[in-house]
Amino acid sequence: MKPLSPSSLAVLSAVSRSVRHGFDIMDATGLPSGTVYPVLGRLERDGYVRSKWESQTITQPEKRPPRRYYEITASGARALAESAEHYRTLGTRLGLPPRRSTAK
Amino acid sequence: MTDAELSAGSRTVYARCMRIVRAASALVPERRRDEWTREWDGELWYRASLLGRSGVTHRHAARRLVLRSVGAVPHAIWALTDEMRVDPMLQDLKYALRGIVRRPAFAALVITTLALGIGANTAMFSIVHSVLLRPLPYDRPEELVYMYGAFRQGNQASVSPPDYLDYRDRNSVFSSLAGRTIYGTAVITGSDDPERVRSSIATANFFATLGVKPYRGRVFLPEEEHGDHAVAIISYGLWQRRYAGDARVIGTTIPIDGRPHTVIGIMPPMLDRTMDVQVWSPIPFNTDGTSVRRFHFLRLIGRLKPGVTIAQAQRHMDDIARDLAAQYPENESWHLNLQPYRDVVIGGVGPVLMVLLGAVGVVLLIACGNVASLLLARASARSGEMAVRTALGAGRGRLVRQLFTESLLLGVASGVAGLIIGHYLLVGVRAVGDGMLPRMAEVEIDATVLAFTFGISLLTSLVFGAAPALHTARADLTGMMKSVGKASATRVGVSTRGLLVVAQVALSFVLLIGAGLLARSLWQLQRVETGFDPSRVLAAEVALPSVRYNDRAAIQGFWNQFLDRVRAIPGVESAAATTLFPLRGGGDTYFYIEGQSPASDALKMNAVVSTVTDDYFSTMRTPLVSGRVFNPSDRGTGAGVTVISQALAKRLFPDGSAIGKRLVVDFGKPFTAEIIGVVADVRIYGQANDAPDLMYFTYRQPNAGFGIGVMNLAARVRRDPDAIAPQVRAALHAVDADVPLSAVQSVESILYDSVSGERLRTQLFVGFAGVALLLAVVGLYGMLAYSVTQRSREMGIRIALGARPPVVFRMVIREGMALVVVGIVLGLGGALAATRLLTAQLFAVKPTDPAVFVFVATALTLAGLAACVIPARRATKADPMAALRLE
Repeated sequence: MKPLSPSSLAVLSAVSRSVRHGFDIMDATGLPSGTVYPVLGRLERDGYVRSKWESQTITQPEKRPPRRYYEITASGARALAESAEHYRTLGTRLGLPPRRSTAK
Repeated sequence: MTDAELSAGSRTVYARCMRIVRAASALVPERRRDEWTREWDGELWYRASLLGRSGVTHRHAARRLVLRSVGAVPHAIWALTDEMRVDPMLQDLKYALRGIVRRPAFAALVITTLALGIGANTAMFSIVHSVLLRPLPYDRPEELVYMYGAFRQGNQASVSPPDYLDYRDRNSVFSSLAGRTIYGTAVITGSDDPERVRSSIATANFFATLGVKPYRGRVFLPEEEHGDHAVAIISYGLWQRRYAGDARVIGTTIPIDGRPHTVIGIMPPMLDRTMDVQVWSPIPFNTDGTSVRRFHFLRLIGRLKPGVTIAQAQRHMDDIARDLAAQYPENESWHLNLQPYRDVVIGGVGPVLMVLLGAVGVVLLIACGNVASLLLARASARSGEMAVRTALGAGRGRLVRQLFTESLLLGVASGVAGLIIGHYLLVGVRAVGDGMLPRMAEVEIDATVLAFTFGISLLTSLVFGAAPALHTARADLTGMMKSVGKASATRVGVSTRGLLVVAQVALSFVLLIGAGLLARSLWQLQRVETGFDPSRVLAAEVALPSVRYNDRAAIQGFWNQFLDRVRAIPGVESAAATTLFPLRGGGDTYFYIEGQSPASDALKMNAVVSTVTDDYFSTMRTPLVSGRVFNPSDRGTGAGVTVISQALAKRLFPDGSAIGKRLVVDFGKPFTAEIIGVVADVRIYGQANDAPDLMYFTYRQPNAGFGIGVMNLAARVRRDPDAIAPQVRAALHAVDADVPLSAVQSVESILYDSVSGERLRTQLFVGFAGVALLLAVVGLYGMLAYSVTQRSREMGIRIALGARPPVVFRMVIREGMALVVVGIVLGLGGALAATRLLTAQLFAVKPTDPAVFVFVATALTLAGLAACVIPARRATKADPMAALRLE
């Protein structure tokens, strides 16, 4: 399998952590909207996420338009695990030290 | 969409964002647009509502939201391209394009190098294509056959009208057989400015034989071949220029050579490009001039019947010629020489053009070498990137394809730039090359040339792209991976680049030898002894209308008056006139030594005839070898006199002096002339051609020569000859306002023009060779510089271990010069094989001329040395401490 691109990896990882709406993913990943939405589109096309619309029972009382939200699929979870592993190996091979939880 | 719950501030922000989104949505394919818009709407409304939740609209957060909505534009573009299903090829292209944009200097270098090569090839191919490859612009041109008259002493003579009629009526191989005169001129009057134009007398079926239809009006009728019909057909160019394209000129009369002619037709513009004739008139058969079998002045064009080959036609016409010779004694040995019309039009330029095309192809090959070398260097520099991409999952095939895509993109960009360069090169060549090459007016960039340019662009991309692609395909990526980011890089690619340099040196050596040989040949040509002094002489042609100047006395009177006026112009040293101007051709006739009359015409000797005024030899400074030149006492009433050329005198009288001997010359009637002088040989047909046997006659003798209605003025001046042209024109106007002055040019420039073809080809070749040399030297320099940079550590260690800078310097020089020497040795072999192609183009130079070979080898060695010096100096400056620190 081809490893995911770094931005795809970031977005997919956010979705897997239940950050589900487009703008929330931007906040979580720090990626701009012009990147996040195409990535989401690609991930959905490749079957790694699926999207749904909020039900009217939620939006009706708030009198707002429904938001779209994304969920990770089984194959998405697999791809996420494999890609993460790939980048870890790559980092080792390049001689990069494993990242500590706190920088500096 | 409801926005009832939004605060006023939020509503403004939301509205602004949605304006952007809606604008971007125009890009989104319709099928997805609704869902796409709803997604943005949902998020933006939600976020806008958060803005106003605390009652205050945070300006910073609002701006961030608007900025985020701008992301709808790339999102929309993504949706659009995703709809088109981006395939990997397009992705490669995108990536390649990004690579080019990221390194603009590199791309510019590559594209400039290749575009020059492709441009030169495009221009050269356009010429070859238009001149050699494209069929003549006539109907079924392969059927057209050109016919010269041929006899014992030559096979490019003309055909007499009675012979033409017999060939036309007796042959069964041509569906149509026509004839016309060449070399004719006519003077058109009728407005302020009399004009001398090229004219031709043609048979009525001439245009039909070629398959050319008149642009306006009609062609000649068969009945116009008999009797006196003053009708004329004019060329499109003349019609546009002199009659402003006014169709009403048809049916009107215009004075041609002083006689009114009715214009009956206008030829199409196509004929202007293929035949330099402005006025056509029908041949009158059965007149005094057209019923003599000894007067040969027609060239024939025939259209073969379907299925007849030119060899069959030749045999058939030979049979007719034998019958005619049996019937008419004057036809002895006369027959026709049939040539494909195409070969006659193209002449001898085929080999020249092919050699030039080959040369320019070699230049492109060398340019490809340079680009390949550049790309190899970059491939080495990018090996880290390639390693990372492989690690990220790109297959080797994918990487190679990626590299080829980049090459292809560079190639196509160079092709486009090359096409533009080629266009301007052609404009330049057309400007200077007009008249030097046949069919020059037909040269253009057409669909075939476009296909050629596109083809060579693709081909060059493959050629220069192959090396780096293979290099990457074979490379040890794990090894590269390890070395990423480290100071010492691999030397992979350097040996390949060395081979490229050797090939470049060898190829440019071959081109330089060719250029050297051609330049030396041109130099020899230009210093050939011509038999006259061309400096500061103005030449001009004067054609007297035969209607008013119909007797010898009138013409002599005109010339005496005109020459006196020219001599009176300040700055003029002397002036004379001649019927035969050097380098402008002329007519010849038969003669024999008095008392040695041969049995038949065919055994008579033959010499070129020139009729001159008294001062001719002194004006042209043609040296007198023995005897005297003409003077006013040589009157027509006394015995005939002649001056002959030195070579002719030696041939006729090898053992004694020619002075006082008498010749019988055929001017229709036999004319006996005593030889009073012998002058130096004159190369009247140009420097590349031998001086012909020449007989001069004075213009005072009415029965000698071919008529003096058209003569050339020669005026020697103290300063610039071109400066007196207006005064000469005024002098002519004062004598006779209806006589035009044409072909006004200094003799030096006539000489200069006479080798213009040779000069153009030499300049082109030298230019190509120069570019090749430059590219080869740059290639060598680039390779060495790169190699030295890559090995700076090695150099540093050598110095640290005690190698003195001169040793390091010599080492680098040796490395570079080894490539140059190997290249020269290989090139030597190539040149010895290739320059044989040039043999026919060389004048007084052998294709193995040692001087040229030694000179070129030395020059190339020095150029190579110069390319090595800078990298070698840099190598000596390697810092030993820096090198050691890295160990």
